[in-house]
Amino acid sequence: MSRTYALRTILVWALLELLAALQVPAGGGGTVLFSWLRTLIEPVAIVAQGTVDLAVDLGLGARGLQRAMAENRETRIALETLRARQLLLQADLAALREIGDFAGPHGEFDAGALVGRCTYRDLVVGTMEVRTARSYHLAHDTPVVSADGLVGRVMRSEGRRHWLQLLTHAAAAVAVQTDDSLVHGLALGTGSNALTIAYVPRQAALERGALLVTSGGDGIYPPGIPVARVTRIRESDEPFLEVTAFSAADLHAARMVLFLPEWAPAASRGLP
Amino acid sequence: MRFKIAIFAAVTLVLQRVLGMPGMPAWLSHLILPMIWIVAASLIRKERHWPYEALLLGLAWDLLFGPVVGPGGIAWTAACLSLYGLASVVADRSPRAWAAFGAVGTVIVVLVQRLAVMPLGLASSLTFSQLAWSAILTGLWCGFVGTILALDLGKHLRAYQVRKLR
Repeated sequence: MSRTYALRTILVWALLELLAALQVPAGGGGTVLFSWLRTLIEPVAIVAQGTVDLAVDLGLGARGLQRAMAENRETRIALETLRARQLLLQADLAALREIGDFAGPHGEFDAGALVGRCTYRDLVVGTMEVRTARSYHLAHDTPVVSADGLVGRVMRSEGRRHWLQLLTHAAAAVAVQTDDSLVHGLALGTGSNALTIAYVPRQAALERGALLVTSGGDGIYPPGIPVARVTRIRESDEPFLEVTAFSAADLHAARMVLFLPEWAPAASRGLP
Repeated sequence: MRFKIAIFAAVTLVLQRVLGMPGMPAWLSHLILPMIWIVAASLIRKERHWPYEALLLGLAWDLLFGPVVGPGGIAWTAACLSLYGLASVVADRSPRAWAAFGAVGTVIVVLVQRLAVMPLGLASSLTFSQLAWSAILTGLWCGFVGTILALDLGKHLRAYQVRKLR
């Protein structure tokens, strides 16, 4: 029996069986053939339905996960924003405290003083950028102080941004004196936090820890502002003492500074 | 010739119907008269092709005697194919071979038909005695036809007519 012969036989027999199944009614309605087809198709349909349900569930799960991740990301961003705001508020609070401190030593300048916020500083170069709330044009050499003491002077002013030359700048010089006005000198910037007090006579009664304030002799800074505290005194062959001091103002940590635009050297002439 | 065979086959089917009519002896319903056609096809025919005649015979059987059309076609083609195979290995063409082929064909038809209707839920009980009676009676019927053919009554009739004319 050839292969074609067998295939034809099987095909004819299968068709005849299907023909017979089409004629026999099944118990649940329809015919036996339909029940056979249902039996064949039902598992496939169940699997397909399950697959579709699984795919839908996976899709919903993935969407939910994506939404949750997005919400988590937004929450984290909001949290970071709140933390940043908290830090800014802490900085603002500290700055406000510093501003409150200005009322003590510089109360006499409060009337025309402007408050500025330090946004950038380079202590190596000896410069600082300060911003004010509103635009001002500050004159060159306008003195700038902090709650602890003298900071420097204005070198350039443009709108809300103002650039300062710190008293530690290598080219900076401030006329200083002791509290009792017995010892005078010139505080020179060195490019570091230390200042060199020049032109202090050898016979001057100066001790370590003495506070030096502006004398007003330079015609730039008003008198009486703390400048530096003496840290080292050394005698040499020179006619003057070698005096080293550190600035009274903490230039590392100062957030807020005070511009003194109202002060004029001419007005200071009348002061002692 | 084919038309004549078809007429004779139809006659055997009608006679089969008659054998099952009320009033006839019960054992006659075990006899399968159309079996002679597939036995003859397997023992006489030289060229064999796929048994479409057996298929038609089986479908006709289903139309007349079965609950559904289809299983008869399977059973009769299966029997015909089996007898084709058997005839290719058995050289005997005597009336005894006709009887044996008829019995074998009957067994195959009955069993295959029961198998074919089993998935449909229509299979009825079948006892060995029923199967044996069918095989014996149908075998005898086929053997009788084989004997008639072996006796070649037509030749004797023509010889008798020739003698009578003298």
